[in-house]
Amino acid sequence: MNRILRNHVIDFTGMVIIGFALMLLTLSTRFQMPFKLSPSLLNLNTIFLSILIEALPFVLIGVLIAGVIQVFVTEEHIRRWIPKNRYLAIMMSCVIGALFPACECGIVPIVRRLVGKGVPIYAAIGFMLTGPLINPIVIASTYMAFGNDIKIASLRMSLGFFIAIVTAFLVSLFFKGHQLKKTTGTIHSHSLSKKEAFSKRFWDMLIHSIDEFFDMGKYLIIGAFLAAFVQTYLPAKALLEAGSGTVSSVAIMMGLAYVLSLCSEADAFIGASFSSLFPTSAILSFLIFGPMMDLKNTLMMLSVFRIKFVISVLAFIISTVFITIMLVQGFI
Amino acid sequence: MIFHVQQAIRAFILLAFSVMLFKLHFSGEMTKFINPKYEGLSQSASVLFLVLFIIQVTRIWTAREQDHLHHNNCHQDAHDCSHDHGDSPFNTKKLIAYLVIVFPLATGFLLPAKVLDASIMDKKGGMAVLTNQRISNEEKKETNIQEFSAVNPEEIGSSKEITKEEYEQLKQNLIESTTIELNDDVYSTYYDEIHLDVQKFKGREIQLKGFVYKEDGLEPDQLVIARFLITHCVADAGIIGFLSEIPEASALSQDTWIEAKGFLDTTTFNGTELPVIKITNWKEISQPKQPYLYPISIRIL
Repeated sequence: MNRILRNHVIDFTGMVIIGFALMLLTLSTRFQMPFKLSPSLLNLNTIFLSILIEALPFVLIGVLIAGVIQVFVTEEHIRRWIPKNRYLAIMMSCVIGALFPACECGIVPIVRRLVGKGVPIYAAIGFMLTGPLINPIVIASTYMAFGNDIKIASLRMSLGFFIAIVTAFLVSLFFKGHQLKKTTGTIHSHSLSKKEAFSKRFWDMLIHSIDEFFDMGKYLIIGAFLAAFVQTYLPAKALLEAGSGTVSSVAIMMGLAYVLSLCSEADAFIGASFSSLFPTSAILSFLIFGPMMDLKNTLMMLSVFRIKFVISVLAFIISTVFITIMLVQGFI
Repeated sequence: MIFHVQQAIRAFILLAFSVMLFKLHFSGEMTKFINPKYEGLSQSASVLFLVLFIIQVTRIWTAREQDHLHHNNCHQDAHDCSHDHGDSPFNTKKLIAYLVIVFPLATGFLLPAKVLDASIMDKKGGMAVLTNQRISNEEKKETNIQEFSAVNPEEIGSSKEITKEEYEQLKQNLIESTTIELNDDVYSTYYDEIHLDVQKFKGREIQLKGFVYKEDGLEPDQLVIARFLITHCVADAGIIGFLSEIPEASALSQDTWIEAKGFLDTTTFNGTELPVIKITNWKEISQPKQPYLYPISIRIL
């Protein structure tokens, strides 16, 4: 009886919310701004929304995968899959990342779940770094953006893979434990009951995905807004004039990759547009550093991991990319 | 029965995202944000949001004992599900979090989408970038152009993805044509080709449209007929454009859309050889429905 009543009430509530949304829709089509906004603010808003619209499908895929990991993958699975040897584990995580076609917008929730399930932190970082950087779409777009030349694309992949391994190794040297933020809830460690029906677990997975979306969503939105702000108000010319030597040009391109927060599938074309202004080494640093870490990702990571850990990882990546590029620049 | 306000807010937000994406598709405004090639992705995002909304709705009302049961379940299932389930009490921190998430919904529903304009072109580097496209293209190796069976250019335009043969054919068409017509489908391909070897196309008649972009350092009779090239979304917009010479240039203001006809020539700008179009006649047009260009994607495999 109670259950039937509840179902009806839920139906009714759903209807009310749909009604609200439709009202918003009709209102918005007739809405006229009472005051005129400056064109640059509208530009800012357009770029902001476009980053968000572009990222949302990938974030949703990310939170769904995170939900699957949360509900269907157990700690025993992880213990069996990940090699005991640290070096092997790092290698394996980087290879899996390279095979896994992720976008950097969706990778943080996945990594968080993996770590929560007992994946060593260094392996998770290895996976996070190669996931968005090395995948077929990125290879294809890099190949095309640089005038159908395989050189940049292959350098991007091979150096990126090397840098990911080094960074993951550095993490394994300096950090123990899961590095997740402390949560208010107590952490239980009793084993998972496998008695539950698949449909129930599938439902749980979707519920987890929703909560994950609300956790991550705010950081994604702040990150997208900051990136849009930089694009609208920071003149590229100032950057172009500052970069003359190799060191400064690499530094500038890395800074640009960080603040622009482009999707790894599209950044090759932007990188290519700078290829005349900066040496190849600087372009490569842009292409490698961007997918590994950017403004939007840092904010999302800060929501999950300890501040000290996030800053250290950022420092590891920056120094490894920088030193690697400096070492190989004579050969490219 | 308990009513959970936060769960209701979350349900509403999920639905609002779905409706916003749907609205942008339905009104056609989506092309002002992303390359139409990727519309399918955001459409599926819209459907996913709707599914998540339907699931979320069931969480708004719970029977008291059921609520307790679910809570226990969650912690048994997922001993360290460290995220917020929306059950904990409401506070200022949460209010800010919800406001942040609502922010793009508000601007998405209430503010009109704006087509990128000359001020963004300026921020993206303007002439400094355009001049350098010439140099970078010089460095690229000439590709051998072979004879391929004739392909109807209209067919190329209709399909967004073309094969390598069709792409070469497209370049061949350009070399053979006496009048170069830069329509949206071939713009970026022809643009690259012309910048690769300006001398080859010197004296050809050319027809194009774009918006007016001016900056300091241009002669009074010079302006750039510019376009934005969108790979994925407008955040990654690249700038392309032809330096043009029009006697009435000073009368034309930034962001005016024009359709122009002229002859290709070369000039030097800041020490770099650049193609320039000597405009013979032009007319002002309204902003086209599809203001952006999209790169042709070539099937590699």
